[in-house]
Amino acid sequence: MKFNYFHLMPWCQANEPNQEWPVSNRNFVPEQGTELYKTYINTMIYAEECGFDWVGCNEHHFSPYGLMSNCNLIGSVLINRTKNVRVAMCGNLVPLLNPIRVAEEYAMLDVLSGGRLVAGFMRGIPHEYVAYNMSPDESWERLAEAYELIVKAWTEPEPFGWEGKYYQYRAVSIWPRPHQKPYPRVLMSASNPESARFAAERRAIMGVVMLPDYDSARESIRVYKETARANGWEAGPEDILIGAHTFVADTEKEAKALLGDGLKYFYDVLAGGPRTAQRLVVQKTRYYRDTDAALKRTAARRAVLKETSIEERIEKGIVLCGTPDQVVDQLTRMKKELGHGVMNINMKIGNIPDEAVLRSMKLWGEGVAPHVRNL
Amino acid sequence: MAFVKSEAALKRGALQFHEAGTGEPLLYLHSAGGVRLSPALERLAESYRLLIPVMPGFDGTERIAGLHSMEGLADLAAEFIDSVVKKPCDVIGHSFGGWLATWLAVRHPTKIEQLVLAAPAGFRTEGAGGLPTDPEQLRRAMFAHPENLPPETRAPAILAQNRAMLSHYHGEHATDTALLGRLGEIEALTLILQGTKDGVIPVASARLLKERIPRAHLVYLYDAAHALEIDQPERFTNLVGDFLRRGEAFIVNSAKAS
Repeated sequence: MKFNYFHLMPWCQANEPNQEWPVSNRNFVPEQGTELYKTYINTMIYAEECGFDWVGCNEHHFSPYGLMSNCNLIGSVLINRTKNVRVAMCGNLVPLLNPIRVAEEYAMLDVLSGGRLVAGFMRGIPHEYVAYNMSPDESWERLAEAYELIVKAWTEPEPFGWEGKYYQYRAVSIWPRPHQKPYPRVLMSASNPESARFAAERRAIMGVVMLPDYDSARESIRVYKETARANGWEAGPEDILIGAHTFVADTEKEAKALLGDGLKYFYDVLAGGPRTAQRLVVQKTRYYRDTDAALKRTAARRAVLKETSIEERIEKGIVLCGTPDQVVDQLTRMKKELGHGVMNINMKIGNIPDEAVLRSMKLWGEGVAPHVRNL
Repeated sequence: MAFVKSEAALKRGALQFHEAGTGEPLLYLHSAGGVRLSPALERLAESYRLLIPVMPGFDGTERIAGLHSMEGLADLAAEFIDSVVKKPCDVIGHSFGGWLATWLAVRHPTKIEQLVLAAPAGFRTEGAGGLPTDPEQLRRAMFAHPENLPPETRAPAILAQNRAMLSHYHGEHATDTALLGRLGEIEALTLILQGTKDGVIPVASARLLKERIPRAHLVYLYDAAHALEIDQPERFTNLVGDFLRRGEAFIVNSAKAS
């Protein structure tokens, strides 16, 4: 099994629960921001030492939830200071961006890293569409068209033009071309059957970046594998990424306390604003296609998660939390249940202190990684 | 836009043609399906004098004795330009007509201005693509949006005859090696169009043309199969109209362009 050390880069200086959208930046302190970036980047670079195979960034807008409005900038720094880890951009939010720019920046990252890029083609969570003033109704169509255009930009041997519904370019020839052939491995979100189908049709790695429960993840995996087969290929464990909040500590009690507090901070303080925007998007648009009731169930499950205690989460097997031995057991169970081959590990949950995060990573490297590599 | 059907008395024999619109002349060479006066063509005729000759033997017309090669047809098209158009003109060719237009550009470079090759046949070097015999497969290879297809008014016998004319003019070859060797001679500024869902002409064919024709642009029409004008009439006419009007400057964004 491969492990992706994933970081949201949250702003942790706010203390009050907040439901406003967009979240005001009046209290942002640039000097603290500079220190945060340093800490977070050093943390991600340390992941290579702790036995992680990938490091992962993602893109979010207008929220203290994540300070990576363009994660390619962070990716570039990580590439420069790591040697072997793959660098996974679990964003860009392709429908919101100029697809030629995405093709170019990903090609740059791939060449800079000597072919270590995992290229995420994400649709984004609903509030991003409010931030960038794009219609959520167009998100699927834009993603589908932009994907084809970007792959063309990566692979066409000659300059070409594109006459599409959303994108028109008369002469495209990007420099550099990507390092990987025919093009970098693509990662797409597959948290529901519809997106799982979409990912499999394009032979992308499927990602359930935040595991809500086993049943819905199993359903996504089933649809993904079935669609892959219908499209002439077999999906293996290496094509399936599952993500979970993770925390390792010297004692079970400490791990639970830290992760529990971090989650509470994440849901109450950091995620309140985006949730407000999400409610508007989901109620007023076809961001989730109406025909697919399962999507609404997934959204409902997520809402329930907010109220779920840390003990219940451990019991359901949707977080990894405890001593190294306990986490090895939890991972073994999860692997047995889902059969995935890539695990997305997020340890900086909410405002968990960075020293504790580094300790968790160290324990991971010494007491977890050696025992789960061959899962 | 009403098309008028006329007949030109050429030295080699009679050639029927459809015509509509006023303005600069624009010659359109049809596919092996024969002439389909589609909304896209009607729209082109709003800006051009659009002339669409019916190649001998297609759509129920008489064959011309001794005329059974692509080169011969290209010479016939050149004579049509001389006697009906009376000056060099822009040329669009779709599929079989694109193949023909390529021969016309090679054999009669002084008779054409700019060239549009829409999913041209004749350059399937790796044997991929072609016309599937299964009707449902054929439909998918041809159309991304079959719902756009206007009702067929021609008799089944005529459509079958059209298909038969393909082999009459070029045998069963997927690749015209003689023509491939001469692509470098094409002087006309050329626009190559390829649908992203074309199941008849493979992408490799479009890339080959782009590589070998000296002044060529290749543009992909998103969500179009082989029948580009039927699948994406607006994208087709906007792009072709802009290219014909502005030449190589068509790559420069112009809010007024389309």
